[in-house]
Parts: sequence; C-alpha cells; structure tokens
Amino acid sequence: MLRATFKGMASRKARLVLTSLAVVLGTMFVAAAMILTATMEKSVTGVIADAFTGVDAVVTSAEDPAAAQGNTPAATLIPAAVLDTVRGVDGVEAADGDVSGQVNAIGDDGKLVGAFAPTIGFNWNDQSTGYNEIREGRGPEAENEVIVSGQFVTDSGLGLGDTVTAYSYSADRADYEIVGVFGLGGDRDSLAGETQMGFTTTEAQRLLTEGENAYMTIYVEGDDVSTDAIADAVGADYRVQTGDEASEEAAEGFAVVADVMGYIFLGFGLVAVFVSVFLIINTFTIIVAQRQRELALLRAIGAARGQVVASVLAEAAVIGVLASILGLGLGVLLGWGLASLVSSTAMGGLPVQLQVPATALWALAVGIGVTVLSALVPAVKASGVPPVAAMREAVNPPKPLRGITIAGATVTAVGAVLVALGLTDNLGGLGLTGFLAGVGIAFVGITLLTPILSKPLVGLLGAVMSWSFSGRLGKLNAGRNPRRTAITASALMIAVALVTGIATLVSSFKATTEELTDQNLNSDLIVMGQQGANIPTFAPETLAEIKALPDVAAVGDLYGEFFGAEVDGRPTALFASEDLPTSLDIYSGTVAEGSVADLPDDGLVVNESAAADRDLALGDTVPVTFADGETAELRIAAILDDSLLTDGWWVAPAQIEHFTVPKPMQAYIQVADGADVGAVEDQVDDILADEPEVSVANNADFVDQQTSQLDTLLASVQVLLALAIIIAIIGVVNTLVLSVLERTRELGLLRAIGMTRGQARRMITVESVIICLFGAVLGIAVGIGLGWTVQQALEEEGLTSFALPWGLIVGYLVAAVAVGLLAAIAPAARAAKLNVLNAIAYE
Amino acid sequence: MSTASPVKTTAVAAQGVWKAYGSGEAQVVALRDVSVEFASGAFTAIMGPSGSGKSTLMHCLAGLDTTDRGTVTIGDATVSGLGDKALTKLRRDKIGFIFQQFNLLPPLTAEENITLPAAIAGTKADPDWIKQIIHTLDLADRLSHKPTELSGGQQQRVACARALATRPEVVFADEPTGNLDTRSGAEVLRFLRKSVDDFGQTIVMVTHDPGAAAYADRVVFLADGQIVEDMNDPTADSVIDKMKHFEELVAAARDQEEAA
Repeated sequence: MLRATFKGMASRKARLVLTSLAVVLGTMFVAAAMILTATMEKSVTGVIADAFTGVDAVVTSAEDPAAAQGNTPAATLIPAAVLDTVRGVDGVEAADGDVSGQVNAIGDDGKLVGAFAPTIGFNWNDQSTGYNEIREGRGPEAENEVIVSGQFVTDSGLGLGDTVTAYSYSADRADYEIVGVFGLGGDRDSLAGETQMGFTTTEAQRLLTEGENAYMTIYVEGDDVSTDAIADAVGADYRVQTGDEASEEAAEGFAVVADVMGYIFLGFGLVAVFVSVFLIINTFTIIVAQRQRELALLRAIGAARGQVVASVLAEAAVIGVLASILGLGLGVLLGWGLASLVSSTAMGGLPVQLQVPATALWALAVGIGVTVLSALVPAVKASGVPPVAAMREAVNPPKPLRGITIAGATVTAVGAVLVALGLTDNLGGLGLTGFLAGVGIAFVGITLLTPILSKPLVGLLGAVMSWSFSGRLGKLNAGRNPRRTAITASALMIAVALVTGIATLVSSFKATTEELTDQNLNSDLIVMGQQGANIPTFAPETLAEIKALPDVAAVGDLYGEFFGAEVDGRPTALFASEDLPTSLDIYSGTVAEGSVADLPDDGLVVNESAAADRDLALGDTVPVTFADGETAELRIAAILDDSLLTDGWWVAPAQIEHFTVPKPMQAYIQVADGADVGAVEDQVDDILADEPEVSVANNADFVDQQTSQLDTLLASVQVLLALAIIIAIIGVVNTLVLSVLERTRELGLLRAIGMTRGQARRMITVESVIICLFGAVLGIAVGIGLGWTVQQALEEEGLTSFALPWGLIVGYLVAAVAVGLLAAIAPAARAAKLNVLNAIAYE
Repeated sequence: MSTASPVKTTAVAAQGVWKAYGSGEAQVVALRDVSVEFASGAFTAIMGPSGSGKSTLMHCLAGLDTTDRGTVTIGDATVSGLGDKALTKLRRDKIGFIFQQFNLLPPLTAEENITLPAAIAGTKADPDWIKQIIHTLDLADRLSHKPTELSGGQQQRVACARALATRPEVVFADEPTGNLDTRSGAEVLRFLRKSVDDFGQTIVMVTHDPGAAAYADRVVFLADGQIVEDMNDPTADSVIDKMKHFEELVAAARDQEEAA
C-alpha cells in the first residue's frame, strides 16, 4: 500500500514541490522568528554579562523602578551613607555608587545628540574603566569636563577638545570640555546604538539627582562577598542581587527590540501557515480527485477504508516532514540574517551569537502538523470513494453548498461577536486576545462562505472579461467548481484583507489628523518636537519671544505633566497654558459652564466627561498632588465641552512650577491676517535656533510628520502581502494545472473543432485572473470591514474619521491581475501545447 | 436511398498516404500507401478491425494528425504540410466533428454547444440554418439544458447539430453510436443519412458496426493499414458477409506470412 503511495508521489512531482514550497515558507518564517528572538537574547546577554564582569553584587532600591517613571528617579535613590555601609561589609573589596540617567547634549548641528534617545549620562569612576576602554585622553577630573563614548563622537560630530553643551530635565545647561573618548569592550562604540557621557560624580549628581549626594546603583566587588551579608547591613529598603542576576535582568530590557521583531516575524509565519492550509487542502483534494479511479480500484481489490486514508496521509506526512526540515534550515539562515541586520541597524553592531532554541522545533511541529491535518479532510473523502467508481467514468457532480454556507455563517458570526466583545472591552484583560482570535475565527468563517459568494462575484468579475469567447469560457470555467475557486482565492483574500484592514486604519488616522488640524486647530504654525524617550520641550522665554513677533496674532501654548501627578488620589495627566482663553480659542475648545477668564491660582478646568467620570461639578474642590510632592485643594472653575484637543485637566499657570518639566511642550501660532506665513515660519525658526528639541512646521508638514511613521508601518505590512502572494500564486498555479488536467478532453475537443492555441491560452489566463480578482475583491471588502470595525471601536478614543486607502485598493486590484497573469503562464502553456489526438483518444 | 447531387465532385481525397508510429523495432505502420477519394454529398463508412488504421486514416484526413508521406486534400485545400495555425483554421471552417463521447462542453448549454465553432471563430452562425438543424434533430425544447441534463442520445444529437452548424465541407464521425443504445444510435444514424439526402452534406464515418455502416452509401474496408475492399450501397447483411469473408482473407494472408 505504501509503495503504491510513494510511486504515485513520484509521478506528481511538480504539484508536490509547489505544495511543499508553501509549507517551507510558513515553517521558515516561524523558525526565523524563534531564532531571531533567541539569538538576539543570547547576543545581548553575552554583551551585558561582559559589562558585569567582576561585579559580584549589586545594590538597588527595593522600590519598583517602574513605579517611578519618567524624569523623577527620586524614589529609587540610594543615599551616599548606604555606600559607606556596603563598603564596611565583610568580604567587600571595592564598592562604588553609580549615577546614571538621561542627559540632553546639543550636537554640532544644534539638535540633540542621539538618533532616538537622549544621551545616557553617568558618573565616571574607578569601576568605569573595568569594562570601558579609554581610547583617547582621560576621565573627567573637574566638573566642567566630560568623557564621551565613541558613538557620541560619531553622532554629535564633536571630538576631543571640543566643548559640548548639555542639560537634563532638572538641571540647566552647562558647557563641558571633552577630555576623553571611550569605547566598550571589543572595541565597539556602543552597546546598542546609545550615546554616553561620563561626568564627575558631583556633576552627574547635579544633573541627575538634583544635586543630592545619592546613587541609583551600587556595584560591589569581592570574591567572597555574600549578598545576604550586604542585605543585612543595608536593610529592607534595598535589594541586593548577585552580579549574574543583575546581568540577566539588564539583558531582558535590552532584548525588547529583538522580541518585537520576533513577534512580527512570528505573525508573518503564522499568516503563511494559515494560508498554506488552504493550499494543502486544495492540493490533496486535487490529488484525491485524480486518483479517484485508482483509489476505487484499490478498494475494489480489497483495500480497507483506513488503508486509503493512510495512503493519502502518508503522502502528506512525507511532504510535511521534508518541507518542514527544509523550512527549519532556511529559517535558521533567515533568523541569523535578520539578527545580523537588527544588530547592525538598531543595536550598534552587537556581535551576533547564533542560537537555535528548542522552541524552533515548534516550527517543525507546526509544518508537519498543519500538512497532515489539512490532508485529513481530503483523505477521509478519498476513503468514501465507492469501489464501483473504478468501473464508471469519473463524474464529480458539484456538491450542494448549503452545509458549508451555514457552517460559514455560524463561524463568521462567532468571530464577529468575539471581535465586537474584544473591541468594546467586555472581555476584561483579554480584549486584544479576544479581538485577534475573533479576527482569526471570522477569517475561517468567511473562507467557508467564499464558495457561495463565488457564484455572483465570479459572474460579475467575469462579465468584464467576456468580450471574447475564450474569455467567456474562462469565466465559465472559473465558476464551475465554486469550492475550488473559493479555496484558491482564499489565500489571497486573507493577505489582502489583513493589509487592507491596516491600510484603512492608517488612512483613517491620517484623515482624523488632517481634520483635527484643518478644522479644529485655528493656527498656522506649530512648534513641537518628535516624541522620543522624553517629551521634547523648550524654554518659556522662547515662547515669549515668539509671542512678541510683530506678525504673530496669537499663540496657544501647552505645558504638560504626564507622570507623578494625582487628582483625587488617582494618577492623572495635567495640562496648563499661560493664557488659557487664547489657547482654547486656537484649539476650538468651548466652555460649557463657568469661565476660563482670569483663572485663579487654585482653579481647575476639566472637560465634561472627565468631570462626570469622577462625579465632579462646577465649584467642587478636589485634592491634587503634583510631581514635586506639593499638594493643593483645587476648585473647578470651568467645565469644557468634550473635544479631543482640549480634553483633560487644566491647572492655572501658577502651578506650572510644580511640573516635572516646567517648560512648554508645544506652541500653536496664529499668524496675523495678511502676514506671510512662510516669513513668520522663518522668524520662528530663527528663534528656535537655540532650542534643540523642537522645530516649527506649518499645518501640512505637521500632518506629514505625524503620519510618516504610519507610512513606514504600512510599508512593512506590505511585505506580508508579498509573502502571501507567493503562496497564493502557487495555489492558483496548482488549481489551474488541475483544471487543465481535468479538462484535457474538453480542451482536446475545443482544439479539434477549431480553437487556436492563443485562444486556449487566453481561456486559462482569464480563469486565473478571475480567481485572483475574486480573492482580492473579497479581501478588500473584508479588510475594509475589519478597518471600519476597529475605527468604530476607537471613535471615542479620537479616531473620528473613516477613510479608505483608495490608492492602495487600486494597487491591490492591479496586483491581483498581475498575479493572475503570472500564475497562468505555465498552465496556459500546458493547455496550448496539449496533444489534440491524445486528448480525444478514448481507446 | 438516392443521392441528392447527380454530379459527384470529390470532397476529401488521400493520395499515397503513409503513417507510422514509433521507430526501429517498435515501429508500427498504421497506414501503407492509402489512396482514397470521398465524393461530395455522399455518406461513406470506414470499417475495419481494431488496429486496422481506420481511426488513423480519419485523423489524417481531418487534419488532426500529420501524414508521413502522401497528400490529403479537403475540397480545394491541401491539408498535408500545414502548420498548427492553418490546420486549426481548416478544422474550424471546413470540418465538422462527431466523436464517440465528450462531444460537448459541460458548462455550456446545448444551444451554446451547437454554435460553439462559430463562437470560436468569432462569427455568428446562420440563425435560419441553425433553426432548421435544431428542428430536424428535435432539440428545440432542450436548447437551454446543460449536457449533464441530457440523455446520451440527446447529447449525441446536439453534437450532430454542432458538426453541421458551420455547413462544413465534410463531417467526420468517429464511432458516433459507439456509446449509445440501439434506439438512440438509430436516431443519430437516421439524421446523418437525412443530412446527406436533404442538405447534400458529405459525411465520413468510422465504425465497426455493420448496422451503422448500412446507413452509408459506400463502405471502405481497411486492414493492416491498407484498403482491402470498397463496397457501394451496403446493407447490414452484405457488410457482415464481406467482413466474414474478409476475416478469412486476412487469416489466410497471416498463415501464408507465417509459413513463409
């Protein structure tokens, strides 16, 4: 029995290779995702472990650092006295306190140094030379001296002997002379692309601990030191770890980039696997259909049903194993390549140590499992072939679509309900999981519905191509087996639906941003910075200068406090404006109750729904705690109508001094009537010359800036489509080759009675294009539906506009036609080359 | 049974046709120097045992297969030496086909199948002519049916209508009744006879059924790739007699060959 199977496989090489390719792709991406994550983790761990060489114990505050976010590390500081205590513990050979945090340094170009984050500032002490290597000069000895990392030199354009200006969120600008340049172990410029500045301990403390003689971490050296002894000495307020433990913890944080990449590729892989399922089901249905007489003969001569199922499954298992092993191998290569890419582009040339984790074997299991399970349905069907079928002409009457349609509608409904529940937060913490599961289930359901949808849609699409007779025949052929057409088109449908859904959200977000800017923002110019690790700000004096410009009619300004403030005991973001009435005018904010004019120092302004949320009314007082610890009883002086731009809690200008960063974040400039906006933009640009964190932009540029990151996201999602297209092409080729095989006699007849080779080719091509267009149209429809659902759910969060990505939709349709043409090449050639005599021979 | 046209011209002719398959030891000569003419407006049957070359002869005459030597002409057109494109056009414009089975395209209705050659050519079939054929074949109430909804006999009648729809120079019928019950087969044969008598259609039919051959004006017997008999105005009995006699002849020839 098995020998018959393998002999049969050899005669179906081409189709099996194509099917295997789909399994290979899926397995490859899943494996690559696992390997990327593990490799990056290992590489990062290796580097961090190097950094912790010689460190035997680490003391940090017992306070959870996550609780003290943002710019206030005050709660996690270790007073200098503790360092002395640690130094006194038995076995401690050396101990030093480490001060580190974010510092803004201004580079050669007047902008902040560092591609994506502020510079890391730290105190350069005896321990610093353990891992870092001084390349030039020396460490800082005076408060106005600094040693910088190699990456800093590269990014800033400054070098030894130059003067650099730096400041922090709590300390004003100061100038430093670069007295040294250091590299990291292994002659690298950075750990992961970051820039570093080493100050004297006193200066680091001025910048980062508001001058307090305290540290963030104490590193202890001593071969015989016991963490318990240190813990006993410093008390319960501090956490003591061994060097290894601390090293592992630090590595976890660094591997996040690789994790995100890993998830993206895992997503790609799973989509590829999902799409492959359809391809495999189709292939085996085809193989079974072709072997119907052979299987019937086997049954007639005494093979049991189980043996028939086993023979089909054995074939699937062979494909699954071979393709998965190949996929795993390619996945290792891809994972290693990606890790190298991530390392060189985002991690500052981190040396990559390839790691193939045990989890990569999951890819193998997924590949084999999916192949065998997908083949199960056709296999069981095959076993149902009655022995008499061997004696009859193979006739496969179209099966009724009622059952599959009911099942599809039910599954789709279940998926839709899950999506709805997930989006409306009715699943508690499982909202996202529920939503994603719902999307997946809905896809399966819609796939089951595609056969019934294929009838009208294929007819409609085909009508466009029926201008020639071969086109009309192609259309008819595409509609002949709705299940097969549908399952073939489904692969494309899923990919197109996913990207269309995301593209719809992106275009909706763009439309919303444009609408907010055009309709709600009564300003011509916007001053703000790109949000990085910290919120960019500028000096209040700069704001005053802008306001003083002759052609500026009004300026709306915005101060913000995002961490550390509490209203009525709950962490709450606070806003403030030097001139709230003017700012509200510019933001199109309207007052529902009370007044914002002459806001008293204890005044509080809030929007309606936020007030309702806390059961507060005009005139009520609320306790407010600021980030600096200051508390106040504030009275609600006005309630605003809900509006996205002005929603939130506004305090009086007098409270700005209690903010973590008492500087404006944004300014919205209204240019005087008749004045030249461009000229004012230039003037503001001049004023901002000394403000490294922000820049000025007009409204159109602002929208572009806001949405440019989304375009990048969208572009990377298109890669997903490209991957799925490869699998879809394989599926279409598969189906068409089968069609040509099945209709050999028809083709022979057509050729005998006068159809030319060109006409035969066109007929197959039209069938192919229709299948692909069907998949794309369905995918676009489902994607739009998906995008619309999410947009509706996010409407309250501010995604108020719904917009379709027309350009991309047209692009997808064109791509579908191209895929159809491409996939038809080989099958059409086969149809054209058909030997007429053989095709019509029946003896 | 009389022929409609008193003046007989030649519709199809083969002149010294040779055809072999394979090469070397395995070579099988299917046609050896066959020369035969088929009169216009006549119904000719080609008979012979399996492997006699009767199907090969028909395929060569119809431009479905190429000849090794010799020439085939249809009307005033030389078939031999034409390329695929020209052959295809010739088949489309000058020849009608009726096969034993798989005559119809499943997705098309009976009517669409009948007008299929015209559709392929991108022309419009003559509606009066089509109407007449449909009426003669009694297919008027079956036009919108798909082939799977038709009986075998009805399907074969649709195939007949299709073959005649373009008023071809010649209709080649390859065992047209091979898959039919006697009654349906007789219907098809009566129609073929009628189309010769009433419309002056030329028909060349390959068959192994003496009863079917009896509908023809003339029977050409083939054996071992050669024409061994030519009989006019056959009846079922005369054909059977001839076949018996002819089998004896073949057996004798074989014995002689073996003896030698």
